[in-house]
Amino acid sequence: MSATDACVEVHDVHKSFSRGSEVLDVLNGLNLVVRQGEFVALMGPSGSGKTTLLNLIAGLDQPTVGSVQVQGIEISKMSEGQLAAWRTRNIGFVFQFYHLLPVLTAFRNVELPLLLLPLSSAQRRQQVTTALDIVGLSDRMWHRPGQLSGGQQQRVGIARAIVTDPTLIVADEPTGDLDAKSADEILNLLVELKNTLNKTIVMVTHDPRAAERADRVVHLDKGRLATQAPKH
Amino acid sequence: MKFLVLVVENIRRNIVRTTLTSLGTMMLVLVVTLVFTVLTSLDKVTTEKSSNIKAIVTEKWQNPSMMPISYAAGLSAGAADPTDPKAVHPQDSMTWGFFVGSTESDPTKRGFENLFFSFIMDPEKARTMFDNIDVLTDDQARVLIDGIKKMKETRNGAIIGEGRLAKLKKRIGDRITVYGRNYKDINLELEIVGTFPKEVSQYSDSSMIRRDFLETELDTYKASHNNKPHAMAEKSLSLVWLRVPDRPSFDKLTEQILTSPSFTNPAVKCETSSTAISSFLDAFRDIIWGVRWLLAPACMLVLSLVISNAISISVRERRTEFAVLKVLGFLPWQILTLVLAEAILIGTLSGLVSAGLAYGIINGVWGGLPFPIAFFPKFAVPINSLWWGAAMGATTAFVGSFFPAWSARSVRVSDVFAKVA
Ligand SMILES: Nc1ncnc2c1ncn2[C@@H]1O[C@H](COP(=O)(O)OP(=O)(O)OP(=O)(O)O)[C@@H](O)[C@H]1O
Ligand SMILES: [Mg+2]
Repeated sequence: MSATDACVEVHDVHKSFSRGSEVLDVLNGLNLVVRQGEFVALMGPSGSGKTTLLNLIAGLDQPTVGSVQVQGIEISKMSEGQLAAWRTRNIGFVFQFYHLLPVLTAFRNVELPLLLLPLSSAQRRQQVTTALDIVGLSDRMWHRPGQLSGGQQQRVGIARAIVTDPTLIVADEPTGDLDAKSADEILNLLVELKNTLNKTIVMVTHDPRAAERADRVVHLDKGRLATQAPKH
Repeated sequence: MKFLVLVVENIRRNIVRTTLTSLGTMMLVLVVTLVFTVLTSLDKVTTEKSSNIKAIVTEKWQNPSMMPISYAAGLSAGAADPTDPKAVHPQDSMTWGFFVGSTESDPTKRGFENLFFSFIMDPEKARTMFDNIDVLTDDQARVLIDGIKKMKETRNGAIIGEGRLAKLKKRIGDRITVYGRNYKDINLELEIVGTFPKEVSQYSDSSMIRRDFLETELDTYKASHNNKPHAMAEKSLSLVWLRVPDRPSFDKLTEQILTSPSFTNPAVKCETSSTAISSFLDAFRDIIWGVRWLLAPACMLVLSLVISNAISISVRERRTEFAVLKVLGFLPWQILTLVLAEAILIGTLSGLVSAGLAYGIINGVWGGLPFPIAFFPKFAVPINSLWWGAAMGATTAFVGSFFPAWSARSVRVSDVFAKVA
């Protein structure tokens, strides 16, 4: 199953949550491979474990059983501190509700992950400007989130996700809170990131139109992948 | 340092809350600063000196002390028995009487601005025995040394502090008439010959006149009143100061004075200035203890609770933000530090500003904290209060924000983002 061009390899992963005395099995022996530079859409009914899977891939949570490798590195065995440092450099997150810090300008928001890296302020400025350029918001650099539209805020969110130049971008319903037009712009941006910067993207979505833009759609049901048929 | 923007922006997030926290901190730091200003000043004056002691002899049973002037010579010599080779002789001495009066002849118009308060004494002793003047160099004391020289040539000379001169609207060289209050019907024609050094502020409102000049005036009074002496004639000695080198000498001196038959009617007592003040303060001991160990800590406790509450609210509002920071790779201790830094920054700055304002306004504008206890004129806020204030603000902020910060640190990413159905 292991392929040299695999970016993400999820192997026989089980994940259960215990709530009080109850044990909830969310993922049951799930397998998934995402190739380098691939754009995968993850669909499935609410509560099927999409966010849970995304969290495992992004190193925000550990599987109960199984292995998760990203770019050949086994992340399911890392300590919390190692994972945090790893996330900063290797994963870009895009959230449904943008989750920008309201008190900071677009520039400062995008700069946040860079504060954790050993960079000079000139280097940080350079990277932030580039990221905001890519998402087309150079002119809104000094605006706060409250002064931006939803679509613009999501673009700042994407700039923040790519500013450390990670290979893998995970997005949980990035268009879920946007109107059709803004959603299209965000999807265009993601496709462009994949095409021009060769980013690997895993996107959770409920919207079939959004899923259509991906290279491949995987369906999650009852803790397993239902279909894994390549598109086209 | 690069995280400072984050801290500052978060402080600016809710200006009202920050301002209230800050004002609360400032108020309480102010209270504690004032309390400690008074307490440290009291501590300082009641700490016993072990060398170069100034003993104070006063009447034992009556306050204000009014001893006969006939006591002056014997007490100044420390009641030393001339036949005893081991007797302690004071290194220096000074006798004080007090003449209180007014430059206003009309009793109905007498008030603080025309008040005249003076020591009746040998002017030379002002240089060697006055607290804080005795330690000045000749250069610093120049104005007084010149004044004393003129006073020796001028029987009715007076040295008047600068503050009092300004209130009386007089200058050196002017003549004034002073109408006696404790010395009823004794009016003095004085010539102002000098002032006290401005390095020492405590005599700014006081004056000094010659003992022999007052005695002559009392004699003149007697002659013009059918040989009936003035009521104060036998009561003009209030205090005798005696300088001894160390504590054993002081103890021996005390014994000499208390056992001498010459000073029994009225009886006298012998103290150091610190014991005098201590015994006076004994009456306030419980209050002082309570202020120091109950009020001040209570202030700090209330302050930490105020800060804790404010930070708790702000942490709860920002749980998602902390989760986002964790997702981006911030470590728990970094989040803890961010929250602590916010609180400590507010606390330190507020404490510093509060103590700084207290220091500037009380010392600079009021010339000290007027607090009517004992015979202290005013309490100066110590310069140390600046860093106390800052440290107090920082400490209470730290204590108050630690638990909220810990809960921010413990935010779990999966709890915040998972839709727990
Ligand atoms: N930290 C947690 N503790 C307990 N239960 C959890 C936790 N995270 C998720 N769950 C449960 O796991 C199941 C899957 O949740 P998950 O968020 O992955 O679903 P989802 O597919 O993303 O749903 P949606 O489309 O609504 O976002 C749900 O039943 C949820 O209640
Ligand atoms: Mg979800």
